[in-house]
Amino acid sequence: MRLPTDFAKIWAFAARSALVNRRNVFAVFEMLFWPGVAIFSVGLLTRFLKLDPETVTFILIGAVTMNTIQIAQLDLSYALLYSVWAKSLKHEFIAPIRLTHILAGSGLVGLARGFLVFVVMGVLSMWFFDMDLSRPGWGGLAIFIIGMFLNAAIIGAAVLALVLRFGQRAEVAAWAFSYLMLLLCGLYYPVQVLPPGARELAQIIPLTYFLEYFRHFYGFPADSAHPLLYGFSQSVIYLLASYALVCYTLKSAYQRGTLLRLSE
Amino acid sequence: MPAIVAQGICKSFRDRPFGPLKQVLHQVDLEVEYGAIFGILGPNGAGKTTFISILATLLRPDQGQARVLGLDVVKDAHRLRERINLAATGAHFLWCLTVEENLRFYGRLYGLGGRSLNARVAELINLFGLVEHRRVTFERLSSGLKQRLALAKALINTPELLFLDEPTTGLDPDMAQLIREEILRLNRETGLTILLTTHNLREAETLCGEVGFLKEGRVLARGRIPELQRRLGLGDRLTIVFQDGLPALDYARLPGVLTHQLQPDRVELQVDRVEERLAAILEAVSQTRKNVAQVRVKEVDLTEIYHEITH
Repeated sequence: MRLPTDFAKIWAFAARSALVNRRNVFAVFEMLFWPGVAIFSVGLLTRFLKLDPETVTFILIGAVTMNTIQIAQLDLSYALLYSVWAKSLKHEFIAPIRLTHILAGSGLVGLARGFLVFVVMGVLSMWFFDMDLSRPGWGGLAIFIIGMFLNAAIIGAAVLALVLRFGQRAEVAAWAFSYLMLLLCGLYYPVQVLPPGARELAQIIPLTYFLEYFRHFYGFPADSAHPLLYGFSQSVIYLLASYALVCYTLKSAYQRGTLLRLSE
Repeated sequence: MPAIVAQGICKSFRDRPFGPLKQVLHQVDLEVEYGAIFGILGPNGAGKTTFISILATLLRPDQGQARVLGLDVVKDAHRLRERINLAATGAHFLWCLTVEENLRFYGRLYGLGGRSLNARVAELINLFGLVEHRRVTFERLSSGLKQRLALAKALINTPELLFLDEPTTGLDPDMAQLIREEILRLNRETGLTILLTTHNLREAETLCGEVGFLKEGRVLARGRIPELQRRLGLGDRLTIVFQDGLPALDYARLPGVLTHQLQPDRVELQVDRVEERLAAILEAVSQTRKNVAQVRVKEVDLTEIYHEITH
C-alpha cells in the first residue's frame, strides 16, 4: 500500500463525483427539492391528522432517514454507472485501481451529500414541525447518522455488484433495492404492524435497529434489548458480504468480458 | 526477452446466458519485440479486440499464457496496469467533464497528484494541440479532438507499452493522418512499444514494422507486409490499356512487378507498391512509343490478402 498514490486514486473518484454533481441540475433537486417536498408533504399530513408531537417526530424521522439513505447510496451506485453511461469502463479498469478506491472515493461524496440532506431536512423539521433533534444528544445523533450511512454503503455496494453483472439494466436496482429495504425496516410505522413474514425480514435489516434506537429517545421503546449490537453487527456482516460480492462480480466481469461489453 | 509473449491463448463467450460457448480465439501465439509497432489485422469479428483486451488485462484467457513486459497478464495484472495503457476506437469519456478534467481524473488513477499531475496534463494538452479546447466538455468535442484526447489519456502514465484498438476508425483522412504521424513520432522518439489493431492495410503499412493476420480467432500469417505480399504474390493492380495493341516489353522485369497478365489491348500488372512504381513503369512504357489509352490503378486491399491467405 502506497498511501499518496492511494489517496490520489480515491480522490480521483471523489473529485469526479463532485464535478458531475456540480454540473447536474438534478443533483440539486436530489439534495434540496425532493427532500424539501418530502418533509413538507409528510409534515403537513401529520398536522392534518392532528398527531401528537412524539408521533409526528416518529414519522418525520422516517422521512429524513429515507431521503438521507437514498442520496448517500446513490453516489456509490453511480460510481460505476457514470462509467457505464459514458462507456469508459475499460479505461478505468485498465488503470491500476482497486475496488476500495472506487468505494472510498464515491462514498466520500455520498457521505457529504447525505449529510447535507440530513441537515436540510433536520432543520426544516425543527423549524416547521417542532421536531426536537437535540433530545438524543450528540452521541445518539452521531450513532444514528453512522447507522444510516452504513446502510447506504451496504445498498450502494450491492448495486455496484449488480451494475458489474447486468450493466445499465441495474440502474433500476439502485432505486428499487433501497425502497424495498426501507419498506421493511419500519420507516413510517413500527415493525410490529408488518404482516407475519415481513416482520421476520425486518429483523435481518440493520436499519430497523438503528431506527428503533433513535426513536427510543422519543418514547417508543425498542423491540430488541440491544438494538445497537444487532444494528452494528448486522451492518458489518452485510458490508463484508456486499464487498465480497462486488469483488466476485468484478472477477467474473474479467472472465465474461462484461467490462468490454459495457464499454461498447 | 520480447515485450509481449502470448502462447496458446483461447477465449470463448456465450452470446446469451446458458447459450452455447462460441470460441473467439483459438490457440493464438504472438511475440512482439520491445520498441516495435506491431499491427494485428483482421475483419470485424476476427477476435482482434478480444486478443488485445487479454493482453491489456481487461479480459482473462480461458487457456494459454501471456506475459507483457515480463509480467503475467493474469497474476501480475495490477503491477502491469501501471506500465501500460490503451486507446480505443470511438473515444468514450465522461461527457460532462472537460478535456483537462478528464485527463486529471485518469492521471489520478495512476497515482499522479500535485505538481506532477499538473505538469503531465499541461504537457499532453500541448502535445496534442488541445490547448484551445482544454475547458471544453467531452460531449462538445469533434470526433478528431475526442480521439486526440483518447491518445493523450493513453499517455498520461508514460506507459512502456501502448495498446491501440483501431485508433483512426471513423476519423476523416486528415485527422487519421495526424494521429498516425503522432503514433510514429511517439515510437521514434520514446521507443514506446505499440500493439495496434486495424482493418486498414494502408495504415498498417505506414505504421507497423510487422503485422499478424487474425481471422476467426486464428493467426493465419505474420511478418512484414512487403514480405507477405511477396510471399503471397500480391500487390496493387495496375491496368494499362493501349490504343494500338500491346507493345513488346519484358513486363516481368518492370520495377516492382510481381505478376503480369497479357490481353490483346491491355496488360494487367500486380505491383508491390504502385504509388512508388507508377512513374518508372509509365516511363518504360512511353519509351515503346505506343499510345496509352487508359491507366487504371486498384490498390491491393485486405480482402485480397485474406482471400489469398484463406484459400
